[in-house]
Amino acid sequence: MSIKRREFLGTVAAGSAIVTMPAFLSGCGVQQASAIADKTPANPFMDWFAVDQATVARVMSELTANGADAADLYFQHIRSNNLRLEDGIVSAASSDIQQGVGLRVVIGDQTGYAFTEDLTLPSMLAAARTASAIASRSAEVAPQSFDPMAMGALYSTSVPWADVGIDRKLPLLKMVESKAKAMDPAIDRVSVYWNDADERVMIATLDGRLVTDHRPMTRVTVTVNAKKGDEVQSGYSNIAAREDFNWYTEERLDTMVKEAVDRTMILFDARRPPAGEMPVILASGASGILLHEAIGHGMEADFNRKGTSIYSDMIGKKVAEPFVTVVDKATIPNERGALNYDDEGNAAGKTTLVENGILKSYLHDQISARQYGLNPTGSGRRESYKYAPMPRMSCTFMEDGPHTKEEIIASVDRGIICETYTNGQVQIGAGDYTFYVKNGWLVEGGKVTAPIKDVNIIGNGPESLRQITMVANDARLDTGGWTCGKNGQSVPVSQGIPTVLVSNMTVGGENVS
Amino acid sequence: MSAKLNDQAVHAIELARKAGASDAFATAGQSRDVEFEYRDGKLEKVKDTTSQSLSLSVYADGRYSSHSTTDLNPGRLQSFVRDAVAMTRALEPDEFREITPERLFRDLPQQDLDLVDAKVATLDREQRVAWCRALDEAARDHKRVISATAGVYDGTSRSASASSNGFAGQHEATYCWFGSEVTLRDQGDKRASDWFYAGGAHVSDLPDAAGVGQQALERALVRLDSAKGPTMKSAMLVDSRAAGSLIGRLLRPANARSVQQGQSFWAGRLGEQAFSKQLSIVDDPLIRRGLASRRYDSEGIAASVLPIIDKGVIRNIYVDTYYGRKGDMQPTTGSPSNRRVTTGEYSLQDLLAKVNNGVYVTSWLGGNADSTTGDFSLGLRGHLIENGEIGAPVGEMNVTGNLVDLFSRLDLVGNDIYPYSSTLAPSLVFSDVDFSGA
Repeated sequence: MSIKRREFLGTVAAGSAIVTMPAFLSGCGVQQASAIADKTPANPFMDWFAVDQATVARVMSELTANGADAADLYFQHIRSNNLRLEDGIVSAASSDIQQGVGLRVVIGDQTGYAFTEDLTLPSMLAAARTASAIASRSAEVAPQSFDPMAMGALYSTSVPWADVGIDRKLPLLKMVESKAKAMDPAIDRVSVYWNDADERVMIATLDGRLVTDHRPMTRVTVTVNAKKGDEVQSGYSNIAAREDFNWYTEERLDTMVKEAVDRTMILFDARRPPAGEMPVILASGASGILLHEAIGHGMEADFNRKGTSIYSDMIGKKVAEPFVTVVDKATIPNERGALNYDDEGNAAGKTTLVENGILKSYLHDQISARQYGLNPTGSGRRESYKYAPMPRMSCTFMEDGPHTKEEIIASVDRGIICETYTNGQVQIGAGDYTFYVKNGWLVEGGKVTAPIKDVNIIGNGPESLRQITMVANDARLDTGGWTCGKNGQSVPVSQGIPTVLVSNMTVGGENVS
Repeated sequence: MSAKLNDQAVHAIELARKAGASDAFATAGQSRDVEFEYRDGKLEKVKDTTSQSLSLSVYADGRYSSHSTTDLNPGRLQSFVRDAVAMTRALEPDEFREITPERLFRDLPQQDLDLVDAKVATLDREQRVAWCRALDEAARDHKRVISATAGVYDGTSRSASASSNGFAGQHEATYCWFGSEVTLRDQGDKRASDWFYAGGAHVSDLPDAAGVGQQALERALVRLDSAKGPTMKSAMLVDSRAAGSLIGRLLRPANARSVQQGQSFWAGRLGEQAFSKQLSIVDDPLIRRGLASRRYDSEGIAASVLPIIDKGVIRNIYVDTYYGRKGDMQPTTGSPSNRRVTTGEYSLQDLLAKVNNGVYVTSWLGGNADSTTGDFSLGLRGHLIENGEIGAPVGEMNVTGNLVDLFSRLDLVGNDIYPYSSTLAPSLVFSDVDFSGA
């Protein structure tokens, strides 16, 4: 999304570029793999992070020595593995371990933050003192023990990724490759990318709660090149979820491969649409990117408490037709954007952004919720222990409406229908947002006609909401591996939508004279 | 500089060798980063962190993999390396994998790149808050301001790299940046906003803080009353700040991997006049105090100045050791450092006058490009150019075309390099560009 001004953070580290990657044996060292399975750990302090409760209490006390409205310790261990099949062989792998604790003090809307990767008492105390320097009140009474919350069950898996060796993954990558090559003789090159990750978090809060969560994640991407004469086209598809190895059924992989090949082969015939304003039909599923950009980010309450979002003064107002309802729901089992608890230790749930056309609720973290006098919506997320949390989306989608896909297509005399996307962005204040359409079709005289490709579409959030004139009854979540970036932090998200018609958007294209 | 980091890297290589690796390349890194954010007269966030990491590339039995960790506990590090080597052995052999050969790092440049300013480590809270205040006051100096956030970001990163075949290198750099982001009340519920950030390796590279805050405010003020511009074909003037990202899109497939994988519009065009004669780009890792300057890249390849495009002719692409062997190309470097676009003779005013009527792009919004074909479509905001002057602000528009075609119609190049990016680009003028708007 927006606000990408910190290019320098990327460039300063250029001398020591790091590749990410992988595990195939167990043993992140802190515990045995079998201990990761999805039961609430008997003693998360020791089992997961090799610290004891007294140490955590001692650090919390230091962290809040200068006062605090809220404070938390965010222990995290992520182990991720990547594999790549290229030119017929699986010859590149990588693994990455990130372990650390983030320490945060909140006073009003002020935040002090530090982290350390060295989970010893002296290092944690030093980090706590650094974070506490934001505050200058008298010490808070810190808890001496923590009350463990029950572990959530949204993405319980039977086998942790740490127990799945390369010997099982490798044949799967090969199978994806051979399926893609078999689909069309024009396919002359296939690459397959694998990722899996086991993430464990333990959040200890100033009000004495102890939240633990085990968050698995996996994604497979296939890219293909197709060649006709001298012309080469490439395309891709991916699927992602908080799942285990058994999720990769042959049927699921077949669907992904077919999507990648279809999306690529159609590019030989696809053209640019005419440039300018026109009605735009968004096909069900991945078109949820509209919601993510046009309204989702603008409803994150950090922007609104500062007054910088176009939606800052719109709660309770009519923003769309009565058949438009948009929600952000973290509690959809196994979705990429699903969360049992957010990264502040609050139960994640469902927030209705727009209900029957009325703007209902922002997405809150603790800071904004306190400022608005509301309960947090469980939307405080962070990329890792290296960052303070902020309001973020989880699974954002629109509920079914009264129309059908066929009615919507039949209603358009001259426009386009968009099917696949690569990325989007939004300006929070002006409300202008864009998304990039990789594949779509012209719609002429109420019929889908010629394929189109590679056009950016731009609109204005509140205007587009008003211009959603039809909503079909075929809502579905996209299974692709979407990642949302905000202020330099990336988090996994999901999105979905039924087929909808936006009566007017600005479509990139060619000027026909 | 840091014997400890060097010891860590060397130790990791020893562990890898002991676990059965034939070769290994390791980098140990640490950093300190401080971040102050100040909003509407008050300190809002202070973040002060130190971080560590170790990355390791393993070569064993003709196989390869790479690994990284932030957990440097000695016992667990040992099992981390053991796992890394075992994982490597589970892969398929690859004849093109080979540790960076000695000839590619034999002659590391020795000159002082001046990337470290000792003053950065001595910055204190008072100084950072003083900058924040100056930024904040200047950025909020207008009745339309709803909110302004000032930020100060500084730190130091160090790393040491070593390999089993004799590479040894150390890298250290400091940075110090500050700036503001301003949001203004516009028509209805709309807000106009923009930002300006400045910085560099040395504290003395920073301009006056109040001036930076003021520039952020001015950039936001010119966005007021922005409207959708017309659908048309016209000239496009891209300002120097926005030009960097457009150059970045052009260069993204300019690497051996994309070419070898058949996913690059740069493929097979070495020595060809692919773009306008106005376009020359050099990758220059040896700029003193450069934002991406370095003496070696992440594989240890010695840094050198690399011409990419010379008067529109493709001279080199980025080639790492693996795709170099696989694609039969001489390795250059696997990743960009500072990218310097050769300047032209015109000021921004000259360019506006020469364009006379068209679109002046000051920032992009979203969009993408297909690296195989070069087809692109980007959202933009900026201004109309009317009779040689900057006219009404426009937004909610797209520009669409093909990157090869676009850069063959680069007609004019400015003399106004934007300094706060590792892509050092001036303003650029393109002819006959497709815009979509109202």
